[in-house]
Amino acid sequence: MKLAIINGSPRGKKSNSKILTDHFLKGYNSLCPDIVSVNYLVNSKLQEESKNVFRDAETVIIIFPLYTDCMPGIVKEFFEHISECEISRSKKMGFIVQSGFPEAIHSIYVERYLEKFTKRLKCHYLGTIIKGGVEGIQIMPPSMTKKLFGKFEALGKYFAKTSTFSAEIKESLRKPLKMSPLNAFLFDAISKTGLTNFYWNKNLKENRAYHKRFDKPYCVKTSS
Amino acid sequence: MKITILNGDMNQKENDFSVFIEKLAGKLQVNNTVTVYPLHEMNLHYCTGCWSCWWKTPGRCAIEDDAGKVLTSVINADFIIFASPLMAGFTSSALKKMTDRFVGLLHPYIKMKNGECHHLKRYDKYPDFGLILKKEPDTDAEDIEIISDIYDRLAINFHSNKKYIKFTDTTKIEEIVYETCNN
Repeated sequence: MKLAIINGSPRGKKSNSKILTDHFLKGYNSLCPDIVSVNYLVNSKLQEESKNVFRDAETVIIIFPLYTDCMPGIVKEFFEHISECEISRSKKMGFIVQSGFPEAIHSIYVERYLEKFTKRLKCHYLGTIIKGGVEGIQIMPPSMTKKLFGKFEALGKYFAKTSTFSAEIKESLRKPLKMSPLNAFLFDAISKTGLTNFYWNKNLKENRAYHKRFDKPYCVKTSS
Repeated sequence: MKITILNGDMNQKENDFSVFIEKLAGKLQVNNTVTVYPLHEMNLHYCTGCWSCWWKTPGRCAIEDDAGKVLTSVINADFIIFASPLMAGFTSSALKKMTDRFVGLLHPYIKMKNGECHHLKRYDKYPDFGLILKKEPDTDAEDIEIISDIYDRLAINFHSNKKYIKFTDTTKIEEIVYETCNN
């Protein structure tokens, strides 16, 4: 299997998508020694390379963060390019969509697009892995990310064996689809204490911008 | 009313879509203030996910390009029209590029809304919007449903409402004018 991974995060090599990819590949390469091409769409030169990589690979996984309820513009541009290329019908395509929202529900709409897009290209759809709650993994202590990274390694191992995503891990990663009423109530209650804003407040304070956090810079004041 | 049209047509010289949008803008201008942004001709960059707009210069994007004037127009409008020929089954990357930049119009803080996490408002009001699209030869009902649902999700996060989805091949300009002005 000639596998290529295309990272569509606008943060490129500093992205959470890269971290998840690295763990997927750790698992994958523990069973399959093949060199997997990992390409980044973050600049136009790399977009060009990625098109060639996409064309030549037998199996492609595209990973990106959810941006305004869909794929980032940079990924959409890539989709427009590859939809104009001649593609081998035997190509397999899978996707990994990660987001900062804790629930998977935000990403299930773009999942439908991704499946339809793969069909439009007449490629074989391998499915979409959805994982929420990813923003912040770069500052979380290892104890908080161990389980997540372990699942991505297991996903990579399974992929090396079967060329498919494990249905069991896929289901596990997308939990919760929505918060339970109890968890939603608790989240709402905790948010009133400001605890859920910790990550944002920490960064606002580090940047001396906390006092400006409710600014409305694009609001045009109308004279009365 | 103030209407902002984001035209995501990427082939404006050889495409009747932009002609349709120009005619629409002309009709809307009779009784409204209309601003049309031909996104593909503007100096617009992709959102880099730097979060400056959330934690360094709250609400303001760090990229110095034309997005600032578009964002100002969007957040002060009474109605937005997202206009785009469909490409690869969705609105164009030019339109998506601009929509991605909306993130700074919201606050990073999260609140529960209908049992889901969504971003808090940064501004007091957000404009409702309509979609004007041009179909591809292979566009089918499933594509339209997917697009419609994704923009409904955008509406939830944008504290807004999607008022209509119209297609240039089946809708008269007068109908869009009516629905835009009577939303």
